[in-house]
Amino acid sequence: MAKEPVAVTVDRVTRIYKNVKGRPDVVAVNEASFVVAPGELVTLLGPSGCGKTTTLRMIAGFDLPTKGQIRIGGEDVSSLPPNKRDTATVFQSYGLFPHMNVAENVAYGLRIRKVPKSEVDERVKRALALTGLSDLADRSPGRLSGGQQQRVALSRSLVVEPGVLLLDEPLSNLDALLREQMRVEIRRIQKSLGITAVYVTHDRVEAMSLSDRVIVMKDGRIRQIGSPSVIYERPDSVFVAGFVGKVAFFPVDVLGDDGDACSCSIRGKAVRAGSRAPGVVAGGKAALMARPESLVLGRPGEGVVDGEVRQNVYLGSSVESFVTTEYGELLVQIDDPAGKRLAAEGERVSVSFNEERVRVLPAEAD
Amino acid sequence: MPTKQRLIRYLAALAIFAAADAWIFATLRSTLRDDAARSRDSSLALLADSAPEDLGLIEDWLASVPESLPGGAAIYLVPSEDDPYAYDPYAADPAALDLWLELEPGEDAQKGLESAYYFENYASPVEATLADTAVRLFYAPITDEAEGELLAIAVFMAPEAGAPGVERLLTVFAIGAFALFAALTGVSRFARDPTVGYAVLTLAGLSVVFIVFPLFEAFRLSFVKDGHASLAVWADALSGAHLQALWGSIRLGVWTASTSTLVGFLFAFVIHRTSARGKKFLAAVAQLPVISPPFSLTLSIILLAGNNGLITKQLLGMDNFSIYGLGGLVLVQTIGMFPIAYLTLAGVLQGLDATLEEAALDMNASRWQVFRTVTLPLATPGILSAWLLVFTNSLADFANPLLLAGNYRVLSVEAYIQVTGRNDLGGGAALSLLLLLPTLTAYFVQRNWVSKRSYVTVTGKPNLKLVEVASPAVRVAMTAGVWLIVAFTLSLYGTIVAGCFVKNWGIDYSFTLANIGEALTRGKDAIRSTLTLAAVATPIAGLVAMAAAVIFVRKTFVGKKALEAVMMTPFAIPGTLLGIAYILAFNKAPILIVGTGAIIIINYIVRELPVGIEGGVASLRQIDPSIEEAARDLGADEGTVFRSVVLPLVRPAFISSMSYTFVRSMTAVSAVIFLISARWYHMTVLIYNFSENIRFGLASVLATTLIIIVMGAFGLMRLLVRDTGAFDKSISR
Ligand SMILES: Nc1ncnc2c1ncn2[C@@H]1O[C@H](COP(=O)(O)OP(=O)(O)OP(=O)(O)O)[C@@H](O)[C@H]1O
Ligand SMILES: [Mg+2]
Repeated sequence: MAKEPVAVTVDRVTRIYKNVKGRPDVVAVNEASFVVAPGELVTLLGPSGCGKTTTLRMIAGFDLPTKGQIRIGGEDVSSLPPNKRDTATVFQSYGLFPHMNVAENVAYGLRIRKVPKSEVDERVKRALALTGLSDLADRSPGRLSGGQQQRVALSRSLVVEPGVLLLDEPLSNLDALLREQMRVEIRRIQKSLGITAVYVTHDRVEAMSLSDRVIVMKDGRIRQIGSPSVIYERPDSVFVAGFVGKVAFFPVDVLGDDGDACSCSIRGKAVRAGSRAPGVVAGGKAALMARPESLVLGRPGEGVVDGEVRQNVYLGSSVESFVTTEYGELLVQIDDPAGKRLAAEGERVSVSFNEERVRVLPAEAD
Repeated sequence: MPTKQRLIRYLAALAIFAAADAWIFATLRSTLRDDAARSRDSSLALLADSAPEDLGLIEDWLASVPESLPGGAAIYLVPSEDDPYAYDPYAADPAALDLWLELEPGEDAQKGLESAYYFENYASPVEATLADTAVRLFYAPITDEAEGELLAIAVFMAPEAGAPGVERLLTVFAIGAFALFAALTGVSRFARDPTVGYAVLTLAGLSVVFIVFPLFEAFRLSFVKDGHASLAVWADALSGAHLQALWGSIRLGVWTASTSTLVGFLFAFVIHRTSARGKKFLAAVAQLPVISPPFSLTLSIILLAGNNGLITKQLLGMDNFSIYGLGGLVLVQTIGMFPIAYLTLAGVLQGLDATLEEAALDMNASRWQVFRTVTLPLATPGILSAWLLVFTNSLADFANPLLLAGNYRVLSVEAYIQVTGRNDLGGGAALSLLLLLPTLTAYFVQRNWVSKRSYVTVTGKPNLKLVEVASPAVRVAMTAGVWLIVAFTLSLYGTIVAGCFVKNWGIDYSFTLANIGEALTRGKDAIRSTLTLAAVATPIAGLVAMAAAVIFVRKTFVGKKALEAVMMTPFAIPGTLLGIAYILAFNKAPILIVGTGAIIIINYIVRELPVGIEGGVASLRQIDPSIEEAARDLGADEGTVFRSVVLPLVRPAFISSMSYTFVRSMTAVSAVIFLISARWYHMTVLIYNFSENIRFGLASVLATTLIIIVMGAFGLMRLLVRDTGAFDKSISR
């Protein structure tokens, strides 16, 4: 499927749903801008109702921006209907044609494009092989398992060699194990075809493990764009930090900045943080974030804050200790627990953190 | 392209089109007027030539002028003896004389007289008013050829030249062309996928032309008498005799609705709430009357209990019994309409969660208490719904009262007599509009109030296990009642079939096959035209219904609610009204289609669309929209999506809407009786004619034929929609 991958540009796009009968309008997407580079897989991640689906549907053409522009491969497609756009969507509910069998489903887009019969057969066969469906070509979709239906939907979209592949929570109807397998599968196929893809999910693990870059949204606004590691390790806001992974926050006063790092105080105790987000300025209040793996337990009085171990959860490669402190319950991850002495449940401990690995974020209301 | 630029281009195109349109319109109109004026002038000159030279005959001639010049008059001016420039005027019409005396001193009149003096005709460009009509003066000299002398001047006061009808038509076309151009280019310029835009425009256009316009015309013309605005029609419609008919309709409706609901409930209860045997059979019989042709049950009742009825006269020897009137009507309407109540109540009783009844029994309520405190209250909205539905149907019923009312008066028949007997279309319109009042009230109460009070869906997963609320004795009684009604219904159908083979019912019961031959020969053309009309209407109605359903369920556009409301109205409108409205609206330009098959087909489609649309809407609501989105996403345009995805998915609804339209078209009568012509006749009307002429044998044969055709259509539909099991599972959202 040798086709030059294209870029997708979403340029200050806003979508407002006018609600008649006196209800307030819903701003589903608010001034969203981003660029998906050719061949890249970008994930839209965010809580329910944040506007992910709306954004994706505007790229596909099912929905129109109230303001702003969408370009695919440089061409402004903002007013084109879906059938004129070089996109193919894998729907959450798959949307398979129930009156056609698997092969007919996959062939549909090619037949619409008036591809010669022999080539249709050839390409359908290849697409089915790619997704491991070769044996099911004659089945009707009603007689397939969820995972198989999901593969049919994927092949049906891939076979037309779209410029952009759009996926709206394609795995949400599958069980956990299948979800993990398909995640790997989708990524493998997308990479091997070098196709540009936009993937919508509210599952952060899925987003982290699949994407070249992640776009975190909230209430219709884009909160941060970055690679999974940036989003996880260097979030710019309390919301993003909390949404993409387990985290503890300590309220701090910022004393001074020092390049990327900064110094601050927690209850008068001076600490240093390895990095800080834009918007953190000396003299202000801020939040210091620490991931469970950057927290360390010590003897009472030795760390930043004292507390009491409430529970230890044994996970094999690590142990999660829940420590009750004045900052709420902190989760401390202890890697490679074998041979280490663990604080017993009910024991008093102190919690400190690896200063290089913590980050100071602007305090925010939400 | 920026929207603003597109808008400007669009407006420019509109302006250019408007200019061209106006220019063509003006040119055509002036040509038309010139033509008319020229032909009028030459006919007036001819008329002048016919003026007698003998002054003694002039009075007669003047009096005869309005015959050749309707609404006009003439003045005959004879030069006076002493002054050749002064004239003595003669006129038959004093008003005309007054007008002339008023105009004579004017400049234009002098110019006319002067032209005549030089033996020239003169058509005045100035307009005057004679008896409320605009007239123009035309001066024609009357000369003595031989002497070359002016004998007199004829001044005609001719009504405004031009053909107002044709001009109005021209205006309609000019405005229509502009509106069409604006709408079409608007859609093609601004809609992302114009197909939907065109479809919406088409539906809106058709709704306006074939629903709104005829109803409006019926309404408007009920305020017109002899070409003038007047309340006389309504005064007549609201007079005693007609109000009595309205009251008659309502009384009949109340009776029929009550008995039908009772019988319908009985059937629904026995079939769905007891463990009676033969339920399938009972349910099938309960639906039989829905598809039976009009007049058939009445016909059979007349055969059994009419003046010469088999039971009343031959078997019981009763001489004074009359089936004609309220009693007989309630009987046939109940047999014909309890299925409506049954279908409504079956849905309700089926959906009723037996857990509730179980719970009540569990609390030691007696069976009767359970029925009274649980079953009945839960079914109440359904019962009301059924009652109102039957009520509307009874009011709109036309066929049964037409044959069986006797001296009892109902509005639908009254309207028919007004139109066909007294040739008073406006009066018929008024009467059928009067009928609309109770019908619409019941319809809206049912739709907006009762149906929203249904409890059926409140409890989550219904327990479909049967709980016997009826005690065994009651059960036996009810089952017996149901079987009795079934036996009676079947015997009615049996009677029709028997009627086919009897020589002369009531007099000579000997066996014959002659009826069949005669009926089929005489009915051949009617059968063919009935089948043709239904066969043409059926696929169109099915496709339009599904397309409309897609548009209503999946698309958003301005005015959707209004369009939906308009397209659903014919459901609530008695056929009589729609039929009368159609002749009123379409017996004149610009849409002159009375007498064609098209008007009947359109009428069928318009009347049966609502049911088809409802089926399509219900079916589409069950289907995951992303199936269609996937097709569009893969490159299919609206038309392809409709053809390759939507139609196959809504196939059951599509087929049942088609078979419904077919059956209803085959059994139509109330509207179609106004629209038939010699060329396009309808079997039901022929059945009526045969019955009226006491040719019961022929009527029976045709009724039986219709029943067979209709049952065949239903059977076919059942076959076609059966294999949908696995399919339904995978399309639901
Ligand atoms: N057709 C519509 N009319 C009105 N509001 C809408 C419509 N579609 C979506 N919305 C609103 O827009 C907002 C964004 O919806 P969207 O479907 O994009 O959310 P999402 O991020 O995909 O959520 P989820 O994870 O639940 O799928 C929501 O508040 C939703 O209620
Ligand atoms: Mg969504």
